Amino acid sequence: MTAMALEADLGVDEGAPKGPLPAAPARCLDIVDLSKRFGGVYAVRGVTLRCGAGEILGLIGPNGAGKSTLINLITGTLRPDTGAVTMDGRSLVGLTVPQCARAGVGRTFQNIRLFAHLTVRQNVEVAHTTASRHRVGGPELHSIDDLLSRMGLAALAERMATTLPYGLQRRLEIARALALAPSYLLLDEPAAGMNDTESEQLVDLIQKIRDDFGCGVLVIEHDLRFIRRVCERVAVLHMGEILTIGGPEDVLNDPRVIDVYIGGGDEEEPT
Amino acid sequence: MNTISVAEGRRSPGLVLDARLAGNARGALYLAVIAAAVGLLIMAFGSPFIVRLMATAYINLIVVVGLQIFMGNANVVNIGHAGFMALGAYFVAIFATPVMMKAVVIPNAPFGMSGVEVGALWAFLISVAMTTLIGLISGLVLVRLAGIAATILTISILVIVQGVLVTWTDLFRGAQAFFGIPKAVGPGLIILATVAALVIARMFKGSRAGVQLRASATDPLAAEAMGVDVKRLRLVAWVLGSAVVGCAGALYALYAGTINARAFYFHTAFLTLAMSIVGGMRSVTGAMVGVALLTVLLELIRIVEGGITVFGIEFPDMLGLSGLMLGVIIVTVMCFRPDGFMGGHEIEEAIAALRKRFGRGKDES
Ligand SMILES: Nc1ncnc2c1ncn2[C@@H]1O[C@H](COP(=O)(O)OP(=O)(O)OP(=O)(O)O)[C@@H](O)[C@H]1O
Ligand SMILES: [Mg+2]
Repeated sequence: MTAMALEADLGVDEGAPKGPLPAAPARCLDIVDLSKRFGGVYAVRGVTLRCGAGEILGLIGPNGAGKSTLINLITGTLRPDTGAVTMDGRSLVGLTVPQCARAGVGRTFQNIRLFAHLTVRQNVEVAHTTASRHRVGGPELHSIDDLLSRMGLAALAERMATTLPYGLQRRLEIARALALAPSYLLLDEPAAGMNDTESEQLVDLIQKIRDDFGCGVLVIEHDLRFIRRVCERVAVLHMGEILTIGGPEDVLNDPRVIDVYIGGGDEEEPT
Repeated sequence: MNTISVAEGRRSPGLVLDARLAGNARGALYLAVIAAAVGLLIMAFGSPFIVRLMATAYINLIVVVGLQIFMGNANVVNIGHAGFMALGAYFVAIFATPVMMKAVVIPNAPFGMSGVEVGALWAFLISVAMTTLIGLISGLVLVRLAGIAATILTISILVIVQGVLVTWTDLFRGAQAFFGIPKAVGPGLIILATVAALVIARMFKGSRAGVQLRASATDPLAAEAMGVDVKRLRLVAWVLGSAVVGCAGALYALYAGTINARAFYFHTAFLTLAMSIVGGMRSVTGAMVGVALLTVLLELIRIVEGGITVFGIEFPDMLGLSGLMLGVIIVTVMCFRPDGFMGGHEIEEAIAALRKRFGRGKDES
């Protein structure tokens, strides 16, 4: 942990120059000592997390642990009280939401937020326009058609986005975020509301995304079977603090983690 | 559900862009051809009364199209447009009216304006430029507000403009009619301008910026998360819309020769707003449909209003009926088609849907 924090500290200078530092490893997302309070209560407290290049990192924790808040802090939706977030060697703290997106943070939402009145293709186009105009130094930008066909949405391109079945809407949200040519993709409960087959396919899809798009993926998910299958490392958040980080088997068998899940909010777990 | 067959061919990125542009151009062409054809037919065969009706309807159409550019894409109800129409009309009046007329109309105009006279074309260009500038200044404030707050600001723009026109009598002649403006514009030019406005609005709606703006209209937060600069795009649409509406006002002044501040107040604002809503404010085709529907309906009502005789029974005058009917029409449309007649669709989409329904979709593509 400390070694990680030290390593991360190198790129965290507030006045870091815009654009990638030559020394910084590409497509890394570094979170250092990040805190956010609502009123007097910490939603996120002293979180330090290094998301490696091209890594699929799981983030789990009971309801209200601060997982969505962490994503909102990374994407500029919320401003942290203290701490630093750096991506590709560039500080994201203080950037607006669109600036974060242009810097290469792609995200989906816990509750699906597609653009109504627009087609599937246009939903993707919104983000694609951003990437083609503003993105520098990111992974290769795929064409809209390529994105759609990789996500299995090509035949539905001209359908209105909100008329798709639920599982496909989740998929379209991922496709839209990928059109930013993100360095890191943040997925907030991508399998929520999916049936077994769909979440099975999603496991393969996320791994394929990492390989094809060269981005790292941070997955928040309550479905622990899903997490076990898709992630290389898992971080556990509990009351805003990181409880432990490690390989999925170690973490999910960790007595403290089991304790947290049984102690708080386990009744809602699908597993 | 109905599956939609889509051309699945792999296209290179360059070709995709062209396809989008071609689609927009095709949609714009449909609108342009219809507007031009209807206008020219009326010019060729209509009575002078019908031609005059067409000309005012087309000026209304330019206003509604200008309204659509901002309101339809950014989804903020705008009532200030009649104010921009007034600005366009009065600026052109001040610059284009001959000095000899001004000695009668505004002899004490400030900035030595009573001694200034430029040609109608220059006056038109200056007027549209000044209106656009005012659009830019008001837009910088407006884009910071959302939803109802923005709408209230547009209302205050309308009230402020009216207030200035009515009280600054030396320059605008106050509540009295401003006459003596050269009638430099005929129905032909109005048709041309209408076609241009339709094309601009349709191309903007389908442009990358237009798509991003429409995305932000339904979910600003998600749009920002996709890198959309919502404020900047709303400003672009607001300024473009103001320019188009200002253009309509200027054309009106140069067509009618006489203008009156009261003609650019709530009545006009609500009439054009109603046209936009009835046709479907998210669609440029809707602007055309709304103007056509309400113009024809109101004209019919006006005949009834004057008292008619049916089967020997004489109906009395029914003054105020048009206002009442306007309300009834809006309420009816809102009940049965809350998104307006076109429901956000453009003409080419409606044609494609009709073709599909009647089973002729297969021999296309
Ligand atoms: N905007 C806000 N204002 C006040 N409190 C908030 C706000 N957003 C989140 N919180 C609080 O912060 C805590 C963390 O919430 P968060 O949504 O991050 O949890 P989560 O881990 O995503 O939970 P879930 O699994 O239910 O999605 C909760 O106690 C929540 O009530
Ligand atoms: Mg959450």
